[in-house]
Amino acid sequence: MTRYDVIIIGGGPAGLTAGLYTSRAGLKSLLLERGALGGQMANATLVENYPGFPEGIAGPELGSLMRQQAVKYGLELVTAEVTDISQEKPYYSISTTEDSLEASAVIIAAGSEYRKLGVTGEERLSGYGVSYCATCDGFFFRNREVAVVGGGDTAITDALELSQHASKVYVIHRRDQLRAGKALQERAFAHPKLEFIWDTVVEEVSGDKVLEELKLRHVKTGQQSNLKVNGVFVAVGLMPNSRSFFNIIEMDDAGYIVTDETMATSAPGIFAAGDIRRNSPRQIAAAVGDGVTAAMSAFKYVQEQG
Amino acid sequence: MSKVVQITDQNFEEEVLNSDLPTEVDFWAPWCGPCQMVIPIYEKLSEEYEGRFKFCMINVDENQRTAVKYQIMSIPMQKYFANGENVDEILGAVPENTIRTMVEDILKKFPANEAGRLKVLLSSWVEHNKKHTEKFNKWAEKTENADSEPVIYNRALQAAKEIEKANEQLSRLLMELQGK
Repeated sequence: MTRYDVIIIGGGPAGLTAGLYTSRAGLKSLLLERGALGGQMANATLVENYPGFPEGIAGPELGSLMRQQAVKYGLELVTAEVTDISQEKPYYSISTTEDSLEASAVIIAAGSEYRKLGVTGEERLSGYGVSYCATCDGFFFRNREVAVVGGGDTAITDALELSQHASKVYVIHRRDQLRAGKALQERAFAHPKLEFIWDTVVEEVSGDKVLEELKLRHVKTGQQSNLKVNGVFVAVGLMPNSRSFFNIIEMDDAGYIVTDETMATSAPGIFAAGDIRRNSPRQIAAAVGDGVTAAMSAFKYVQEQG
Repeated sequence: MSKVVQITDQNFEEEVLNSDLPTEVDFWAPWCGPCQMVIPIYEKLSEEYEGRFKFCMINVDENQRTAVKYQIMSIPMQKYFANGENVDEILGAVPENTIRTMVEDILKKFPANEAGRLKVLLSSWVEHNKKHTEKFNKWAEKTENADSEPVIYNRALQAAKEIEKANEQLSRLLMELQGK
């Protein structure tokens, strides 16, 4: 079994930064990523709030630069999903879809993923009208009618972006007011293509091969209705990717990992960084900072273990 | 070097539907972040499966006819083709292993048409020989007298001629196979 000083789970900004620091510190380091490197950052067309790039930088490009920098100092990258983690003192044993590995310390930077609606038809029509990425898929709905589900910053940003392609954008929100920031709200309310459907949830998405209709329910009156749209963009928040770790470390009710200021979790030698952490501000710069702290704590832990 | 073939509306039929090998087509666009992240995986696999499985990319922004035809509404979308039919698909940016499993699965389900495999093999073989013969001839022109190793030089010349002859035969066989 291959043994590492530290294994990092997740290839977003937190994981790549942690890997950069542990590699530079001389620890034998491996980063596991189940999908594509870059994390949520890879979905951002332009990142304008990451310091050092006054003109902004494309998310995938920033991810690629972070990867190059970490690999330069010896970080190993493997594509695999973690299925289980258990302690076999003094090591942690990590089972993945590819292999079994061992490490003295573990940094969990697995981030979060889009929350689904969890309604009938969603899975089947995913990619055929049901989307979680307005930047990627808005293009396919030129002059079509679409709906956005959600009321936060992401939902409203998506709706405004979609309005550049679509002929009509419905915003379906389960409350009677938005959570999104004031400036976004003002732009959204003033936009002629946007129409708000308040106090309403989606109960079913349907269509033969592609999405044709949403079944809606008004949460206050219980009244049901149908809405014909070609696309529905789901923006109802994120969910931490922490399922594989629930039996070994402490989490809050929503599944976010609890850490102290050194990024230590309830299990000695396991650290967490980035969006997966409780109370994370979910910003690239914050994830990077977490990655540094977690790497330094892991370094100290590995040294103490001798 | 990547063996991924760039597809357009114009050559889709020839490169994908009429392909002698099972084929993957990655529908992508420059503005799509997740699309950028999976491209290196296809580049790697295209080398590994060379001659057995074909990997292609099509920019949906520039080739809307094909995107519409296959009802692409979300990218990255990978469509898999065998014998001119769309047989499976993968939506989104997925790990290398998921793609590898799909490729192996399709290779099993659609056992390669032997004539097709032979065509691909022969054509790359003929191409390879041609390139090396050309390189050797160029070198031989410049090195009129290979004083240092005359015997080896002459024997190499001899061998090159024989290869050229054999390559003509292979080339004819390939044309027969292609029904030309």
